[in-house]
Amino acid sequence: MKNIKIYIGLIICTITFSACKKDFLEREPQSIVVEDQVYGDPKLIEGVLANLYNRIPTDASLTNRWTEHTAYDDAVWSGSGNAGDEYRNNIISYPVDRWRLWDYGFIRDVNLGIEGVQKSAKLTAQQKAQFNAEFRFLRAYDYFEMVKRMGGVPLVTTPLVYDYSGDATNLQLPRSKEVDVYDFIATELDAIVNNIENNGSTSRANKYAVLALKCRAMLYAGSLAKYNNQMASPITLPGGEVGIPAQRASDFYNKALDAAKQVMAGPYSLYKSNAANLGENFYEALTKKTGNPELILIQDFLQSKGFKHGFSYDNIARSLREDNLASSAIAPTLNLVEKYEYLDGTAGNLKTRNVDNSDYVYYTNTQDIFANKDARLYGTIIYPGTSFRNTPVNIQAGVALWNGTTYQIIEGDLGAKYTDGKLLTGLDGPQRSALDLSNTGFYLRKFIDNTPLASTRTRGTDIAWIRFRLGEVYLNAAEAAFELGQTASALSYINTLRERAGFGANSLSALTIDRIRNERRVELAFEDHRVWDLARWRIADKVWNGSTSNPDAMLYALYPYRVVRPGDAARNDKYIFIKQVAPRFKTPRFYQIANYYSSIDQAVLNNNPKIIRNPFH
Amino acid sequence: MKKISYIVLFSLIAFFSCKKDNYDAPTSRLSGRVLYQNQAVGVRSDGVQLELWQRGYSLFTKIPVFVAQDGTFSATLFDGDYKLVRLRGNGPWLDNPDSIAVKVSGNTQVDVPVVPHFNLSNVSFNKAGNTVTATFTVQQVTSTSVLERVNLYLGTTMIVDNTRQDASAEKLASDIVIGQSGSITVNIPAALASRNFMYARLAVKTNGVGEALFSAPQRIEFK
Repeated sequence: MKNIKIYIGLIICTITFSACKKDFLEREPQSIVVEDQVYGDPKLIEGVLANLYNRIPTDASLTNRWTEHTAYDDAVWSGSGNAGDEYRNNIISYPVDRWRLWDYGFIRDVNLGIEGVQKSAKLTAQQKAQFNAEFRFLRAYDYFEMVKRMGGVPLVTTPLVYDYSGDATNLQLPRSKEVDVYDFIATELDAIVNNIENNGSTSRANKYAVLALKCRAMLYAGSLAKYNNQMASPITLPGGEVGIPAQRASDFYNKALDAAKQVMAGPYSLYKSNAANLGENFYEALTKKTGNPELILIQDFLQSKGFKHGFSYDNIARSLREDNLASSAIAPTLNLVEKYEYLDGTAGNLKTRNVDNSDYVYYTNTQDIFANKDARLYGTIIYPGTSFRNTPVNIQAGVALWNGTTYQIIEGDLGAKYTDGKLLTGLDGPQRSALDLSNTGFYLRKFIDNTPLASTRTRGTDIAWIRFRLGEVYLNAAEAAFELGQTASALSYINTLRERAGFGANSLSALTIDRIRNERRVELAFEDHRVWDLARWRIADKVWNGSTSNPDAMLYALYPYRVVRPGDAARNDKYIFIKQVAPRFKTPRFYQIANYYSSIDQAVLNNNPKIIRNPFH
Repeated sequence: MKKISYIVLFSLIAFFSCKKDNYDAPTSRLSGRVLYQNQAVGVRSDGVQLELWQRGYSLFTKIPVFVAQDGTFSATLFDGDYKLVRLRGNGPWLDNPDSIAVKVSGNTQVDVPVVPHFNLSNVSFNKAGNTVTATFTVQQVTSTSVLERVNLYLGTTMIVDNTRQDASAEKLASDIVIGQSGSITVNIPAALASRNFMYARLAVKTNGVGEALFSAPQRIEFK
């Protein structure tokens, strides 16, 4: 019996070991795809590209660092106060590494992709040219994101491979000049513009996305060349790693204008499908993905496949939320609201007090104070008296009780009734210190999904993040043309955009740089432009100078109150508005001269002695 | 009983096992002042930085040392040899790329000499009615520097500067004669007029330099 067991054991052993013998150590891996397989299959290369598209850096998008929309002057953080989120209302000064980006992991992945496609034996020449172009577009995009934060960075265009010789000096590249990085971006984009194809796609770059990137990058370079050199003491480094010569300005502006003209001559047009309601029209232009002729390149999401995000969950107006816990995190400021002009062309300051400042202005409905404003205000911001998802919001801070000589302000819980049986405080606030409730009296509409259940965590939303759209190209063209002295064509670009916002044809007949800047602010709010625009115009340190007495550095709220003044029919039950610093906002915005270029990580400096530090840090 | 003995046993292990492999915290204190003509240079609180570097270890990264608003600084360090660097473009003084060798051994004092762009002298504050008036003289220290403005700040606490203040007034360079006495007046905000005291401070700002040079804050009695 014992022997039989041993025999069986021996037989099993023999079978097992002999069967494995031949190719025991040489197997196709089951769980990873090797390089040859990737670059032999166009579908897999698209997978590599999709990964890279998703990794394009942003300062604040719908998914990446979305909370940072509240770190500047367009919004106050009104979400929860835990996990350190509240610090955005209390930034003493921006840290010098706030915008630091040394994205060479991305660059290396692109360079490996270019090399892999080049070596591939299975792709056709046409496929190779197209993939090569798309990888280079992504690389140019990433270099643009780096140069606008760091100044000149090392230009690496091939995968750097260490040879294990103990000497890494051939891998230590110095920083290029800032101007050379912008020139590199322009040359790269020119070289690929006719190979990239993807015609009609909005989620992959095509010819017009290439031109739109070139347009933006050249505009940045032009304004840096011009405005940096107009500073009292321009920010430069002796080697040119930072600082673009002033004489290059017109060259860069010309390139920007030229690229913009090519995009505008393309198959795109401004979204105007909802001519009956221009405010909704602007909202749809930013949120509709199909049948929207304005989109050039977007970061797309698809709810049905589980590729979704929670931007609507976090930022939906309080009374409209469909989930518990979060809402209302991004509360737009009165600063932004007042930048939207009146349709007659006058400045957008809201009229809360009468002309001689002796009394409030009384409005019958809360929305009346916003009457005749730029339609983009409605498309961007939910203000008192408007609706979202066909449901009216309920924004009222409290009542103002007349005591014979002055108004006594009374505020209560959300939805509470005053002793006269009418509303005291609306379901949407605002309240001074509540979490997940607007602190400013405004809510965000842009990029918030109005589909039922889109603001739940389970369903989520698939609103796309817009990287490039035609509206921005018009503004780029207008700014470049204006800087080049072509005021007439600059006016026509700006007026086209303003016409869509409800202004009449040719609403402007004269143009200043401040007007163009204001137009950018209201058109492109929450699209990751504001801080970069202020930086390239070199006015960020003046607009956000950290002074409590500077109305641009402080963020304001607008609190509506219902008047209780029985016996005065002209005023009783009317609404008054009180402007004040947003109660949760504590510290004025302070952008230091040292913030124009972010500091380089000490580990980078230690590893590569050829890298020199940026000025001021 | 058994439980208690386990608890005693585990706590003995827990308390003893930590001892061996932990470093002592640094105990030596490096302190000093940023000096011009033997006077500490006033700056913005939390704004101006000096750097300490120590070579010879695998981690090579700076130890930032922030200068307090009265021009003093301090850091708690391990004994050793350090280089103290005046971070360029950071303070209201001329860049000086020379580092200062510092040997920290126990409590150590080191003074950092700097050459400011401008200096303030004969500073005095005076309250009259609802205003505070400061008189001052701006002195040009570095001949190539260009004056931008002088600011007067009022604050409720002793920490007063351009970011922490309740009222401010400014005078641009075109209204200032360098080397001669000038004055600025600021209105006391109505909401603060009933206080017993406030602090006032002057700052002189140079063109193209981020940080300003400040006078010492002075307490002004309102009552």
